[in-house]
Order: sequence, then structure tokens, then C-alpha cells
Amino acid sequence: MLSAGTLATRKTSVVHSQSLGMRIRQHWPFYLFLLPAIIWYAVFAYYPMAGLQIAFKKFSNVKGIWGSPWVGLKYFRNFLVDKQFWKFVNNTLAISFSKLLFCFPAPIIMALMLNSVKNRVFKRTIQTVSYLPHFISWVVVVSLVQRFFSQNIGLINDLRLGYGLEPIYFLGQKRLFIPFMVLSDMWKGIGYGSIIYLAALSGIDPTLYEASSIDGANGAQQLWHVTLPGIKATIGIMFLLNIGGLFSVNFEQVLLLQTPPTYDVSEVIDTYILRRGLKMNQFDYAAAISLFRSVLSMLLVVTMNYVSRRVTEVSLW
Amino acid sequence: MNNSSYLDKESKGTQVRTRSYIRLSVSARIGSAVNGLILTVLGFITLYPFWYCLIQSFNSGKDSLKGGIYFWPRVFTLANYQKAFQNPLIVSSFGISITRTLILVIGGCLLTALMAYALTKKTLPGRTGIIFYFYFTTIFSGGFIPTYIVYRQYGLLNNYWVLILPSVYSFFNALILRTFFNTIPESLNESARIDGASEVTIFFRIMLPLSIPVIATVALFIGVGAWNDWFAGAYFLTRRRDLYPAATLLYDLMSQAVFETNPDIAGNVTRNETLMAGQSAATTPESLKMAFLIVLTFPIMCVYPFLQKYFVTGIMVGSIKE
Repeated sequence: MLSAGTLATRKTSVVHSQSLGMRIRQHWPFYLFLLPAIIWYAVFAYYPMAGLQIAFKKFSNVKGIWGSPWVGLKYFRNFLVDKQFWKFVNNTLAISFSKLLFCFPAPIIMALMLNSVKNRVFKRTIQTVSYLPHFISWVVVVSLVQRFFSQNIGLINDLRLGYGLEPIYFLGQKRLFIPFMVLSDMWKGIGYGSIIYLAALSGIDPTLYEASSIDGANGAQQLWHVTLPGIKATIGIMFLLNIGGLFSVNFEQVLLLQTPPTYDVSEVIDTYILRRGLKMNQFDYAAAISLFRSVLSMLLVVTMNYVSRRVTEVSLW
Repeated sequence: MNNSSYLDKESKGTQVRTRSYIRLSVSARIGSAVNGLILTVLGFITLYPFWYCLIQSFNSGKDSLKGGIYFWPRVFTLANYQKAFQNPLIVSSFGISITRTLILVIGGCLLTALMAYALTKKTLPGRTGIIFYFYFTTIFSGGFIPTYIVYRQYGLLNNYWVLILPSVYSFFNALILRTFFNTIPESLNESARIDGASEVTIFFRIMLPLSIPVIATVALFIGVGAWNDWFAGAYFLTRRRDLYPAATLLYDLMSQAVFETNPDIAGNVTRNETLMAGQSAATTPESLKMAFLIVLTFPIMCVYPFLQKYFVTGIMVGSIKE
């Protein structure tokens, strides 16, 4: 039953009485395949993780991560009473919940619409086009946003001038920051996000549609009683995974879209860590916030993974 | 296989709907027309920004400042592209992006596939522990600050290799590959082993050739990631502008634009003078940027539609495993 092939030529009975050492020796090529990955993860994931200890140390560039003196929970006490910090937590959650509210349902609706298209060429074309923004860098996406909304050369202000209206610095408006985040995210992700739901939709038994239409169900009734129950599990899992990511706002997008006038609403935990650490040279303080954030989001992700596993088991029966 | 059953279902579905047309043909037809219209508008919203940049990149920069260009270039010129390709910084940034992408696609695919293949071996002692060792990094990470300090320690700051080494592996890609490798019957490898093939031979002669579609998907993911990443360049190569990949250079030009349009924080404009030096009357920093953006986006537009069939499968495999 084990890697019997190599052993079949020898004595098969040996397989069961093998010592661990022998089994390891037998699998040496596989360990060799894994070795670069194991080393890489140690160097680029686990060693930086160990560096999080500076959250409890007074970090000095000279003494380094391991040599700096311990200060205990000092930075944690500091940031927990830091009003700014809580404002940025608040900003993070405001962005996350807005995205959950608008960007989560969008691909589902898109998938439902695509699914009811009968012309296959049209459907394929729209699909291919809608996947495009997903593969485009955020830098390009935000360049496009700027090109459309900039004060001097933006298309929108160009149109406004045509109607004799004053140009507006859209990206500097606090109240427009979240709409910009939501809409650019939706524009980038709606098509690609719909793939998973289209897959779920294609898995629905077509005889259900047949039966329901014989029973006299109209389109809306079929949607409610056949289509939606068919993709309910997928929606549920995707929702839980989204909840798991509430603390991790796409900080690339924030960094690119925020402007100095909007810092009040656009600064999130991750960008604050970056600013505190690099610009203000407080690596230790920033690391403390980072550790706090990482632990919180890990707990959230693990909980949601657990719940989604339970949900899938139930829905699979 | 998946595809054919899907088509099958779809054709059955059409039959059913044809029947119901007889009863509610008018409302159904209006519904489907509205549906098609909305999707067309969505398609337009997706493509128009790229089209807009394209026409701007072919229009004289000075003329663009007057506004009013929406669908077609008004004063056609190739000057923006000529200027862009004469600029040593832009040219070298594309060189950096291309080599980075190639190295990561080839190296990353190979190493990830080896890792994934080893993880398919159910009898491997310690397999669960090793998988957890990889998986854990996807839910918990050191974050930017320790990473920055550690890279400085490694000597990776302001070093070309910071663009390559930290992005070699991705557990998500390994999962996609492993799930596919699992579908290849073990008996195939067994018979090769009996014939005396080594594991390396089996990997290169059996696993890889049978996995081309999935390898292509992973190659696309790695390639797009490498080509699009601007962050590593912007934060780890701060003193080596000559090593900027194209995406980071675009970020540089872009953050400059923010400074220029915001009167509160003038200054800092000097950085771009080298880049824009010696421009002709036809080009402006903005029109040059448009040409640059189009060149940066073009390779992706050319590649992804051909791999669509593959990455759709790839995502499904990945999400099932999540």
C-alpha cells in the first residue's frame, strides 16, 4: 500500500515493519524537492516573523533585532490609548464594511446576468473583457482614476468646464475617498469575482428548471427557488472568507488612492504602520501595532475558515 | 470534461426557455434585452478607460491640454512613444521588468511544482507538519516592519535581488498544482519506477508534461504578479532608481502628479526633471505617461485571453481547497 512499486521487486512484507528512519531514507528525493521551499520559508517568512519581537524591545539599528533591550508591553500600552490609532482602526473597518456591502454582491449579480445570456459569443466576449482589470496593476488602475478625476487634465473636469462649472479636486475630497475605494475595487474585481459563481451556476441541475417551468414558475420564481438555493453554499463560503479579511484592507490600493487632504479618512492600520515605521523611524512602535493587527486578523481568518468548513459539511450532507 | 457537461446543460436550458417563450415571450424578451444592454454598458465602462489612455497617448500632449478628446486622437502623433523609448530610465525599467518576470516565471514554476509534487506523496513522513509549516505563513506574517529590517540585514535593500527572491514561492500556487497532480493516477508513476526511472525523471517526463494547463495558469499568476508589482521597487529600492521596474516608475510619475495638482505641498517636483528633460513641443509629462501606461498594460492584454480557459479552472481548484 505504501510506495509499493519500488518494493514490489523486493519483499513486500518489509513495508509494514519499516522503521521511520528507513521510510525517511526511502523518500529522500521528495525531501530534496521540498528543501528549497523549506529554506525559503525560513528565510523569508519565519525569520521576519521572529523579528516581531521588537514590538517588546527598544529597537536600535546598531544592536539589531536580537540585541535591543526589552521594554515589555510599553508600546502596546501606548498605542491602545493613542486616539489616532483608534481613528485608523475605524477607517479600516469603514472601508472594509463598505466594500463588503457593495463589492461582495456585485460579482454575484454579474454572474446571474451572464448566466441568463443565451448568445454564447456575446457571453464569452463580456467575460473576457470583464476579467481584464483583474490582471492590471493597481498602479495602472489608480493612474486611470487620476486621469479621469484629476483637477487639471481629468476627463470629468474637462466635461465640467464645458458646462461652465468649476473644476473639482475629486481625489482630495474626504467624503469621496470611500466611494473611490469601493468603485475602483468593483471595477477591478467584478468580472474575475464572478467566475466562482458562474461555476456554481453551471453545476445546477437543468432538470430543476424544466420541472419548475412545467409547474408554471416564471423567471423571477425560478431565480428565487432554483438558482439562488443552488449557489447558496458558494455565496456563504465567499461571505465568510470576506469577513475573515475585514482587517486587511488592500493597502496597496489605499497607498495609491490617498492624498494628503484625505489622510483623516484614508489612513488605515497598514498605512499607519508604514508611516510610523519608515517615515518616523519608530520600528518598534510600528511593529507592536503590526503584531496586534496580525494576531487579530489571524484569529478572524481561523474562525471564519472553521465556520465555513462546518457550513460546507452541512451543505454537502 | 467539465466544459462539455456545462454545454450540455446549457443547451437543455435553452430548450426549456424556448418553451416558456411561448407564454411570456414579451416580458422575457424585454428582460433579456435589458440584461444584454446592462452587460454591454459594463463592458464599455471596463474598456473605455484603456481606450481613452490609448487615444491620449497618440495625441499631441500640448493639444491634449485643451481637452475635448473623447473618442479619437485630434492631433495624431507618435512623439509620445518615441520620447518614451528614447528615455534611458523608461527603457531600462522595462528591461528590469522583463528579466524579473522571466526569472520568476521559470524559477517560480519549477520550484513550486517540485514542492507541490513532493506534497502529493501521501506516504512522506512528516507531510502534515510540512504542509502546516507552509500554510501557517498564509494566515500569519511578520508584516512590513520586521521584513524591512531583515532585508536590510540580508543586504537586499537597494539590491536587484529584492525584486526576485522574496516572491519565489506562493502556497496558493502550490495548492493549485498539488490538487492537479493528485488527479494524475499514481499507477503511472509506479510503472515508471519499476522501469527504473528516478523521481527527477518522473517529475520532468511525466508530471510536468501532463500538467501543462495548470503550469500555464500558475505561470500566468506568477508572471502577472511580477510584472504588476510596484511596491518592492518603491520601498526596497529607494536609492536605486536605475533598478526600478516599470510599474514602480509609473508609481513614481503618478505620485508626482498628485504633488503637482495639490497646491498645499508643492516642492518635490525636481525629481521628474531628469525624466522629462529635453521634451519636444508635442509631448508633456502627462502624454508621455499615457504612452508609458499603454506599453505597460499591453503585454498583459495580449497574454491573458489565451489562458482564460486555464485560469478559470485554476481558480476553481484553488477555491475548493481554501
